[in-house]
Amino acid sequence: MSAPWLTVAMVAVAAHLPTRSALASQDVAARLEGRAPAAVVKAVQTIAQDAAARGLPVEPLIQKTLEGSAKGVPAERVVAAVRLLAARLDEARTALRDAGIATPEPEALEGGAYALSAGLSADQVRDLGRVSRPLYDPALTLHIAATLTALGVPARQGVQLLLHMIQAGRTSNELLDLPGEVQASMARGASAAQAAEALDIDEGALGQHGSHGEEGREHQARPHRP
Amino acid sequence: MKKPYHDLVKRLLDGELRLAELPPDLRAEGEEALRLLGAVDRTPVTLSPAVTSRVMATVRERTRSPARRAWRWLVTPRNVEVRFRIRPWLVAPALAAAAALVLVLARPQTPVSSTNVVFVRFMLHAPGAKSVTVAGTFNQWDQNAAPLIPAGTDGVWTTTLALPVGQHQYAFVVDGRRWVADPAAPAIDDGFGRRNSVVAVTRQGARTL
Repeated sequence: MSAPWLTVAMVAVAAHLPTRSALASQDVAARLEGRAPAAVVKAVQTIAQDAAARGLPVEPLIQKTLEGSAKGVPAERVVAAVRLLAARLDEARTALRDAGIATPEPEALEGGAYALSAGLSADQVRDLGRVSRPLYDPALTLHIAATLTALGVPARQGVQLLLHMIQAGRTSNELLDLPGEVQASMARGASAAQAAEALDIDEGALGQHGSHGEEGREHQARPHRP
Repeated sequence: MKKPYHDLVKRLLDGELRLAELPPDLRAEGEEALRLLGAVDRTPVTLSPAVTSRVMATVRERTRSPARRAWRWLVTPRNVEVRFRIRPWLVAPALAAAAALVLVLARPQTPVSSTNVVFVRFMLHAPGAKSVTVAGTFNQWDQNAAPLIPAGTDGVWTTTLALPVGQHQYAFVVDGRRWVADPAAPAIDDGFGRRNSVVAVTRQGARTL
Protein backbone atom coordinates (compact mmCIF):
# COMPACT_ATOMS: atom_id res chain seq x y z
CA MET A 1 0.00 0.00 0.00
CA SER A 2 1.56 3.28 -1.02
CA ALA A 3 1.60 6.47 1.05
CA PRO A 4 -1.42 8.12 -0.67
CA TRP A 5 -3.51 5.03 0.05
CA LEU A 6 -2.39 5.08 3.64
CA THR A 7 -3.43 8.71 3.90
CA VAL A 8 -6.78 7.92 2.33
CA ALA A 9 -7.28 5.08 4.80
CA MET A 10 -6.44 7.32 7.75
CA VAL A 11 -8.83 10.02 6.53
CA ALA A 12 -11.55 7.41 6.08
CA VAL A 13 -11.05 6.16 9.63
CA ALA A 14 -11.10 9.72 10.97
CA ALA A 15 -14.28 10.46 9.03
CA HIS A 16 -16.02 7.58 10.76
CA LEU A 17 -14.95 8.62 14.24
CA PRO A 18 -18.03 9.71 16.18
CA THR A 19 -18.04 13.41 16.91
CA ARG A 20 -18.15 14.68 20.47
CA SER A 21 -21.75 15.85 20.08
CA ALA A 22 -22.79 12.52 18.58
CA LEU A 23 -21.22 10.70 21.51
CA ALA A 24 -23.01 13.03 23.90
CA SER A 25 -26.27 12.25 22.19
CA GLN A 26 -25.67 8.50 22.52
CA ASP A 27 -24.70 8.92 26.18
CA VAL A 28 -27.84 10.91 26.90
CA ALA A 29 -30.10 8.34 25.25
CA ALA A 30 -28.42 5.49 27.12
CA ARG A 31 -28.54 7.25 30.49
CA LEU A 32 -32.16 8.34 30.19
CA GLU A 33 -33.55 5.16 28.71
CA GLY A 34 -36.39 3.96 30.88
CA ARG A 35 -35.98 6.90 33.26
CA ALA A 36 -37.71 9.66 31.29
CA PRO A 37 -40.52 9.83 28.70
CA ALA A 38 -39.41 9.38 25.10
CA ALA A 39 -40.35 12.95 24.19
CA VAL A 40 -38.19 14.30 27.01
CA VAL A 41 -35.27 12.09 26.00
CA LYS A 42 -35.49 13.31 22.44
CA ALA A 43 -35.64 16.98 23.42
CA VAL A 44 -32.81 16.65 25.94
CA GLN A 45 -30.71 14.80 23.39
CA THR A 46 -30.94 17.80 21.10
CA ILE A 47 -30.10 20.24 23.90
CA ALA A 48 -27.19 18.07 25.07
CA GLN A 49 -25.86 17.64 21.56
CA ASP A 50 -25.83 21.38 21.10
CA ALA A 51 -24.21 21.90 24.52
CA ALA A 52 -21.52 19.30 23.80
CA ALA A 53 -20.79 20.89 20.44
CA ARG A 54 -20.14 24.14 22.31
CA GLY A 55 -17.87 22.38 24.79
CA LEU A 56 -20.29 22.49 27.72
CA PRO A 57 -20.68 19.56 30.14
CA VAL A 58 -23.62 17.28 29.49
CA GLU A 59 -23.75 15.57 32.87
CA PRO A 60 -25.67 18.38 34.66
CA LEU A 61 -28.29 18.28 31.91
CA ILE A 62 -28.71 14.53 32.32
CA GLN A 63 -28.94 14.95 36.08
CA LYS A 64 -31.58 17.66 35.81
CA THR A 65 -33.64 15.43 33.50
CA LEU A 66 -33.35 12.46 35.84
CA GLU A 67 -34.29 14.66 38.77
CA GLY A 68 -37.35 16.13 37.08
CA SER A 69 -38.55 12.75 35.88
CA ALA A 70 -38.01 11.14 39.28
CA LYS A 71 -40.01 13.92 40.91
CA GLY A 72 -42.86 13.44 38.46
CA VAL A 73 -42.49 16.89 36.91
CA PRO A 74 -44.43 17.37 33.64
CA ALA A 75 -42.34 16.74 30.53
CA GLU A 76 -42.44 20.27 29.15
CA ARG A 77 -41.28 21.66 32.48
CA VAL A 78 -38.38 19.24 32.62
CA VAL A 79 -37.28 20.23 29.13
CA ALA A 80 -37.61 23.92 29.98
CA ALA A 81 -35.47 23.47 33.10
CA VAL A 82 -32.81 21.58 31.14
CA ARG A 83 -32.77 24.25 28.46
CA LEU A 84 -32.43 26.98 31.10
CA LEU A 85 -29.59 25.06 32.76
CA ALA A 86 -27.75 24.76 29.45
CA ALA A 87 -28.05 28.52 28.98
CA ARG A 88 -26.74 29.12 32.51
CA LEU A 89 -23.80 26.79 31.96
CA ASP A 90 -22.94 28.84 28.90
CA GLU A 91 -23.31 32.11 30.81
CA ALA A 92 -21.19 30.74 33.67
CA ARG A 93 -18.46 29.76 31.23
CA THR A 94 -18.35 33.25 29.79
CA ALA A 95 -18.16 34.72 33.29
CA LEU A 96 -15.38 32.35 34.38
CA ARG A 97 -13.44 32.98 31.20
CA ASP A 98 -13.74 36.68 31.93
CA ALA A 99 -12.29 35.84 35.34
CA GLY A 100 -9.18 34.53 33.63
CA ILE A 101 -10.02 30.84 33.79
CA ALA A 102 -9.43 29.84 30.19
CA THR A 103 -10.97 26.38 30.40
CA PRO A 104 -13.18 26.12 33.47
CA GLU A 105 -13.70 22.65 34.91
CA PRO A 106 -17.17 21.14 34.46
CA GLU A 107 -17.67 21.36 38.24
CA ALA A 108 -16.88 25.08 38.18
CA LEU A 109 -19.34 25.60 35.34
CA GLU A 110 -21.95 23.71 37.29
CA GLY A 111 -21.20 25.85 40.36
CA GLY A 112 -21.50 28.97 38.25
CA ALA A 113 -24.83 27.87 36.81
CA TYR A 114 -26.02 27.01 40.30
CA ALA A 115 -24.99 30.46 41.58
CA LEU A 116 -26.73 32.16 38.67
CA SER A 117 -29.91 30.23 39.37
CA ALA A 118 -29.66 31.28 43.03
CA GLY A 119 -29.66 34.93 42.00
CA LEU A 120 -26.04 35.93 41.56
CA SER A 121 -25.23 38.02 38.52
CA ALA A 122 -22.70 37.03 35.87
CA ASP A 123 -20.39 39.78 37.18
CA GLN A 124 -20.54 38.31 40.68
CA VAL A 125 -19.75 34.84 39.31
CA ARG A 126 -16.83 36.39 37.48
CA ASP A 127 -15.57 38.15 40.63
CA LEU A 128 -15.78 34.98 42.70
CA GLY A 129 -14.04 33.00 39.98
CA ARG A 130 -11.27 35.56 39.83
CA VAL A 131 -10.50 35.58 43.57
CA SER A 132 -10.94 31.83 43.95
CA ARG A 133 -7.98 30.90 41.79
CA PRO A 134 -5.53 29.46 42.39
CA LEU A 135 -5.96 28.62 46.09
CA TYR A 136 -9.67 27.86 46.20
CA ASP A 137 -12.02 25.67 44.21
CA PRO A 138 -14.35 27.99 42.26
CA ALA A 139 -17.06 25.33 42.31
CA LEU A 140 -17.00 25.42 46.10
CA THR A 141 -17.00 29.20 46.54
CA LEU A 142 -19.79 29.55 43.99
CA HIS A 143 -21.90 26.95 45.78
CA ILE A 144 -21.35 28.72 49.11
CA ALA A 145 -22.36 32.06 47.59
CA ALA A 146 -25.48 30.44 46.16
CA THR A 147 -26.38 28.98 49.54
CA LEU A 148 -25.91 32.31 51.30
CA THR A 149 -28.24 33.87 48.76
CA ALA A 150 -30.74 31.07 49.26
CA LEU A 151 -30.67 31.78 52.99
CA GLY A 152 -31.71 35.34 52.27
CA VAL A 153 -28.37 37.11 52.27
CA PRO A 154 -28.43 39.68 49.45
CA ALA A 155 -26.26 38.35 46.62
CA ARG A 156 -23.96 41.39 46.62
CA GLN A 157 -23.44 41.15 50.37
CA GLY A 158 -22.79 37.39 50.30
CA VAL A 159 -20.26 37.76 47.52
CA GLN A 160 -18.53 40.62 49.37
CA LEU A 161 -18.30 38.50 52.50
CA LEU A 162 -16.74 35.66 50.57
CA LEU A 163 -14.35 37.98 48.74
CA HIS A 164 -13.18 39.44 52.04
CA MET A 165 -12.68 36.01 53.59
CA ILE A 166 -10.73 34.78 50.58
CA GLN A 167 -8.60 37.90 50.56
CA ALA A 168 -7.96 37.34 54.27
CA GLY A 169 -6.69 33.87 53.42
CA ARG A 170 -9.41 31.90 55.18
CA THR A 171 -9.43 28.14 54.65
CA SER A 172 -11.99 26.37 52.50
CA ASN A 173 -13.47 24.79 55.61
CA GLU A 174 -13.96 28.22 57.12
CA LEU A 175 -15.78 29.31 54.00
CA LEU A 176 -17.93 26.21 54.27
CA ASP A 177 -18.85 27.24 57.82
CA LEU A 178 -20.43 30.49 56.62
CA PRO A 179 -23.94 29.23 55.81
CA GLY A 180 -24.12 27.50 59.18
CA GLU A 181 -22.99 30.65 60.96
CA VAL A 182 -25.57 32.72 59.14
CA GLN A 183 -28.24 30.19 60.04
CA ALA A 184 -27.13 30.22 63.68
CA SER A 185 -27.42 34.02 63.79
CA MET A 186 -30.82 33.85 62.15
CA ALA A 187 -31.91 31.33 64.78
CA ARG A 188 -30.99 33.95 67.38
CA GLY A 189 -33.25 36.46 65.69
CA ALA A 190 -30.99 38.27 63.23
CA SER A 191 -31.98 38.72 59.63
CA ALA A 192 -29.84 37.02 57.00
CA ALA A 193 -28.40 40.38 55.96
CA GLN A 194 -27.57 41.29 59.55
CA ALA A 195 -25.94 37.92 60.11
CA ALA A 196 -23.77 38.33 57.02
CA GLU A 197 -22.93 41.91 57.97
CA ALA A 198 -21.82 40.82 61.42
CA LEU A 199 -19.59 38.15 59.93
CA ASP A 200 -18.14 40.65 57.49
CA ILE A 201 -17.42 43.11 60.32
CA ASP A 202 -15.66 40.31 62.20
CA GLU A 203 -13.66 39.60 59.12
CA GLY A 204 -12.70 43.27 58.82
CA ALA A 205 -11.59 43.36 62.44
CA LEU A 206 -9.50 40.26 61.99
CA GLY A 207 -8.06 41.68 58.81
CA GLN A 208 -6.98 44.86 60.63
CA HIS A 209 -5.06 42.82 63.15
CA GLY A 210 -2.99 41.98 60.22
CA SER A 211 -1.28 38.64 60.81
CA HIS A 212 -1.88 36.97 57.52
CA GLY A 213 0.90 34.48 57.33
CA GLU A 214 -0.03 30.80 57.28
CA GLU A 215 0.70 30.60 60.99
CA GLY A 216 -1.45 33.62 61.71
CA ARG A 217 -4.33 32.14 59.78
CA GLU A 218 -4.22 29.02 61.88
CA HIS A 219 -4.42 31.06 65.08
CA GLN A 220 -7.28 33.14 63.78
CA ALA A 221 -9.29 30.27 62.40
CA ARG A 222 -12.84 30.11 63.68
CA PRO A 223 -13.77 26.94 65.53
CA HIS A 224 -15.43 24.43 63.25
CA ARG A 225 -18.98 23.42 63.77
CA PRO A 226 -19.28 19.98 65.34
CA MET B 1 -13.00 -54.02 11.28
CA LYS B 2 -11.26 -56.60 9.13
CA LYS B 3 -7.52 -56.87 9.51
CA PRO B 4 -5.73 -55.62 6.37
CA TYR B 5 -4.03 -58.15 4.16
CA HIS B 6 -0.33 -58.79 4.50
CA ASP B 7 1.78 -56.92 1.97
CA LEU B 8 2.77 -60.21 0.29
CA VAL B 9 -0.90 -61.16 -0.04
CA LYS B 10 -1.54 -57.72 -1.62
CA ARG B 11 1.23 -58.44 -4.12
CA LEU B 12 -0.44 -61.83 -4.79
CA LEU B 13 -3.68 -60.04 -5.58
CA ASP B 14 -1.82 -57.62 -7.84
CA GLY B 15 -0.46 -60.61 -9.77
CA GLU B 16 3.10 -59.94 -8.76
CA LEU B 17 3.40 -63.22 -6.85
CA ARG B 18 1.93 -66.69 -7.20
CA LEU B 19 0.26 -68.55 -4.30
CA ALA B 20 3.09 -71.04 -4.14
CA GLU B 21 5.58 -68.24 -3.66
CA LEU B 22 3.92 -67.11 -0.44
CA PRO B 23 5.37 -68.31 2.86
CA PRO B 24 3.41 -71.29 4.20
CA ASP B 25 1.86 -69.27 7.04
CA LEU B 26 0.41 -66.76 4.56
CA ARG B 27 -1.03 -69.25 2.07
CA ALA B 28 -4.37 -69.64 3.83
CA GLU B 29 -4.76 -65.83 3.85
CA GLY B 30 -3.75 -65.72 0.21
CA GLU B 31 -6.29 -68.41 -0.74
CA GLU B 32 -9.06 -66.53 1.06
CA ALA B 33 -8.10 -63.29 -0.69
CA LEU B 34 -8.10 -64.98 -4.09
CA ARG B 35 -11.48 -66.54 -3.34
CA LEU B 36 -12.98 -63.18 -2.42
CA LEU B 37 -11.51 -61.49 -5.45
CA GLY B 38 -12.91 -64.22 -7.65
CA ALA B 39 -16.39 -63.54 -6.31
CA VAL B 40 -16.24 -59.88 -7.39
CA ASP B 41 -18.16 -59.11 -10.60
CA ARG B 42 -15.60 -57.48 -12.82
CA THR B 43 -17.95 -56.65 -15.57
CA PRO B 44 -17.43 -52.95 -16.51
CA VAL B 45 -20.31 -50.66 -15.49
CA THR B 46 -22.00 -49.04 -18.44
CA LEU B 47 -24.59 -46.29 -18.22
CA SER B 48 -27.27 -45.71 -20.79
CA PRO B 49 -26.42 -42.94 -23.31
CA ALA B 50 -29.45 -40.95 -22.07
CA VAL B 51 -28.09 -40.74 -18.51
CA THR B 52 -24.66 -39.74 -19.74
CA SER B 53 -26.04 -36.96 -21.92
CA ARG B 54 -28.24 -35.61 -19.08
CA VAL B 55 -25.31 -35.51 -16.65
CA MET B 56 -23.07 -33.81 -19.16
CA ALA B 57 -25.79 -31.27 -20.02
CA THR B 58 -26.12 -30.37 -16.34
CA VAL B 59 -22.37 -29.98 -15.97
CA ARG B 60 -22.20 -27.68 -19.01
CA GLU B 61 -25.16 -25.66 -17.74
CA ARG B 62 -23.52 -25.08 -14.36
CA THR B 63 -20.28 -24.11 -15.97
CA ARG B 64 -22.02 -21.53 -18.17
CA SER B 65 -23.99 -19.82 -15.30
CA PRO B 66 -22.17 -16.50 -14.55
CA ALA B 67 -23.73 -16.24 -11.08
CA ARG B 68 -22.55 -19.71 -10.21
CA ARG B 69 -19.11 -18.99 -11.60
CA ALA B 70 -18.98 -15.75 -9.58
CA TRP B 71 -20.09 -17.55 -6.47
CA ARG B 72 -17.47 -20.24 -7.00
CA TRP B 73 -14.85 -17.50 -7.48
CA LEU B 74 -15.92 -15.90 -4.23
CA VAL B 75 -15.95 -19.03 -2.10
CA THR B 76 -12.91 -20.81 -3.49
CA PRO B 77 -9.97 -20.28 -1.18
CA ARG B 78 -6.91 -18.86 -2.82
CA ASN B 79 -3.59 -17.43 -1.82
CA VAL B 80 -3.38 -13.63 -1.72
CA GLU B 81 -0.16 -11.79 -1.35
CA VAL B 82 -0.28 -8.16 -0.15
CA ARG B 83 2.80 -6.08 -0.19
CA PHE B 84 3.01 -2.82 1.78
CA ARG B 85 5.17 -0.07 0.52
CA ILE B 86 5.27 2.71 3.06
CA ARG B 87 7.57 5.52 3.94
CA PRO B 88 8.95 5.00 7.47
CA TRP B 89 8.02 8.51 8.62
CA LEU B 90 4.36 7.71 8.02
CA VAL B 91 4.36 4.85 10.53
CA ALA B 92 4.29 7.14 13.57
CA PRO B 93 1.20 9.16 12.52
CA ALA B 94 -0.54 5.96 11.47
CA LEU B 95 0.09 4.39 14.87
CA ALA B 96 -1.02 7.62 16.57
CA ALA B 97 -4.27 7.60 14.58
CA ALA B 98 -4.86 3.96 15.52
CA ALA B 99 -4.18 4.72 19.18
CA ALA B 100 -6.55 7.68 19.08
CA LEU B 101 -9.21 5.48 17.52
CA VAL B 102 -8.80 2.91 20.27
CA LEU B 103 -8.95 5.62 22.95
CA VAL B 104 -12.08 7.18 21.51
CA LEU B 105 -13.93 3.91 20.98
CA ALA B 106 -12.93 2.39 24.29
CA ARG B 107 -13.26 5.35 26.63
CA PRO B 108 -13.17 3.99 30.16
CA GLN B 109 -15.52 5.36 32.78
CA THR B 110 -13.56 7.62 35.10
CA PRO B 111 -13.01 5.56 38.21
CA VAL B 112 -13.49 7.17 41.58
CA SER B 113 -10.40 6.63 43.65
CA SER B 114 -10.96 5.55 47.22
CA THR B 115 -9.07 8.62 48.47
CA ASN B 116 -11.72 10.81 46.83
CA VAL B 117 -14.60 9.13 48.61
CA VAL B 118 -15.98 10.25 51.95
CA PHE B 119 -18.62 8.51 54.05
CA VAL B 120 -21.55 10.81 54.65
CA ARG B 121 -24.38 10.16 57.06
CA PHE B 122 -27.87 11.26 56.09
CA MET B 123 -30.53 11.62 58.73
CA LEU B 124 -34.18 12.63 58.67
CA HIS B 125 -36.73 12.89 61.44
CA ALA B 126 -39.89 11.54 59.88
CA PRO B 127 -42.19 10.07 62.51
CA GLY B 128 -44.96 7.99 61.03
CA ALA B 129 -43.15 7.42 57.74
CA LYS B 130 -43.27 3.94 56.29
CA SER B 131 -40.16 4.40 54.15
CA VAL B 132 -37.52 7.04 53.62
CA THR B 133 -34.89 7.13 50.89
CA VAL B 134 -32.38 9.71 49.75
CA ALA B 135 -31.95 10.56 46.08
CA GLY B 136 -29.54 12.97 44.48
CA THR B 137 -26.90 13.60 41.91
CA PHE B 138 -24.75 10.92 43.55
CA ASN B 139 -27.22 8.14 42.68
CA GLN B 140 -28.79 9.47 39.49
CA TRP B 141 -31.84 10.63 41.47
CA ASP B 142 -32.90 7.03 41.87
CA GLN B 143 -35.34 7.07 44.74
CA ASN B 144 -34.89 3.35 45.34
CA ALA B 145 -31.10 3.35 45.43
CA ALA B 146 -30.45 4.52 48.98
CA PRO B 147 -33.04 3.59 51.60
CA LEU B 148 -32.72 4.96 55.13
CA ILE B 149 -33.36 2.65 58.05
CA PRO B 150 -35.17 3.57 61.27
CA ALA B 151 -32.79 4.35 64.12
CA GLY B 152 -34.73 3.51 67.25
CA THR B 153 -38.38 4.28 67.70
CA ASP B 154 -38.47 8.07 67.67
CA GLY B 155 -38.93 8.48 63.94
CA VAL B 156 -35.30 9.08 63.04
CA TRP B 157 -34.20 7.49 59.78
CA THR B 158 -30.57 7.24 58.79
CA THR B 159 -28.11 5.87 56.27
CA THR B 160 -24.43 6.32 55.45
CA LEU B 161 -23.25 6.63 51.86
CA ALA B 162 -19.81 6.82 50.28
CA LEU B 163 -19.77 9.97 48.18
CA PRO B 164 -17.08 11.31 45.88
CA VAL B 165 -15.51 14.70 46.60
CA GLY B 166 -17.61 17.50 45.14
CA GLN B 167 -20.95 19.19 45.61
CA HIS B 168 -24.04 17.00 45.50
CA GLN B 169 -27.68 18.00 45.43
CA TYR B 170 -30.14 15.73 47.17
CA ALA B 171 -33.56 15.37 48.73
CA PHE B 172 -35.31 12.80 50.86
CA VAL B 173 -38.26 10.80 49.55
CA VAL B 174 -40.81 9.92 52.19
CA ASP B 175 -43.15 7.00 51.55
CA GLY B 176 -42.07 6.84 47.92
CA ARG B 177 -43.83 10.02 46.83
CA ARG B 178 -43.11 13.03 49.04
CA TRP B 179 -39.87 14.87 48.21
CA VAL B 180 -38.43 16.68 51.22
CA ALA B 181 -35.38 18.92 51.42
CA ASP B 182 -33.06 18.29 54.36
CA PRO B 183 -34.53 20.35 57.22
CA ALA B 184 -31.09 20.49 58.81
CA ALA B 185 -29.53 22.23 55.82
CA PRO B 186 -30.21 25.28 53.68
CA ALA B 187 -32.19 24.43 50.58
CA ILE B 188 -32.25 25.97 47.15
CA ASP B 189 -34.82 26.09 44.37
CA ASP B 190 -34.57 22.97 42.19
CA GLY B 191 -36.00 24.67 39.11
CA PHE B 192 -39.22 22.68 39.40
CA GLY B 193 -40.83 24.59 42.22
CA ARG B 194 -39.40 22.37 44.94
CA ARG B 195 -36.18 22.63 46.94
CA ASN B 196 -32.97 20.62 47.06
CA SER B 197 -30.27 20.47 49.69
CA VAL B 198 -26.58 20.45 48.90
CA VAL B 199 -23.78 18.55 50.58
CA ALA B 200 -20.22 19.66 49.92
CA VAL B 201 -17.81 16.74 50.22
CA THR B 202 -14.14 17.60 50.68
CA ARG B 203 -11.25 15.35 51.63
CA GLN B 204 -11.60 16.71 55.16
CA GLY B 205 -15.24 15.67 55.45
CA ALA B 206 -18.72 16.68 54.39
CA ARG B 207 -20.84 19.74 55.11
CA THR B 208 -24.33 20.57 54.10
CA LEU B 209 -24.55 23.85 52.26
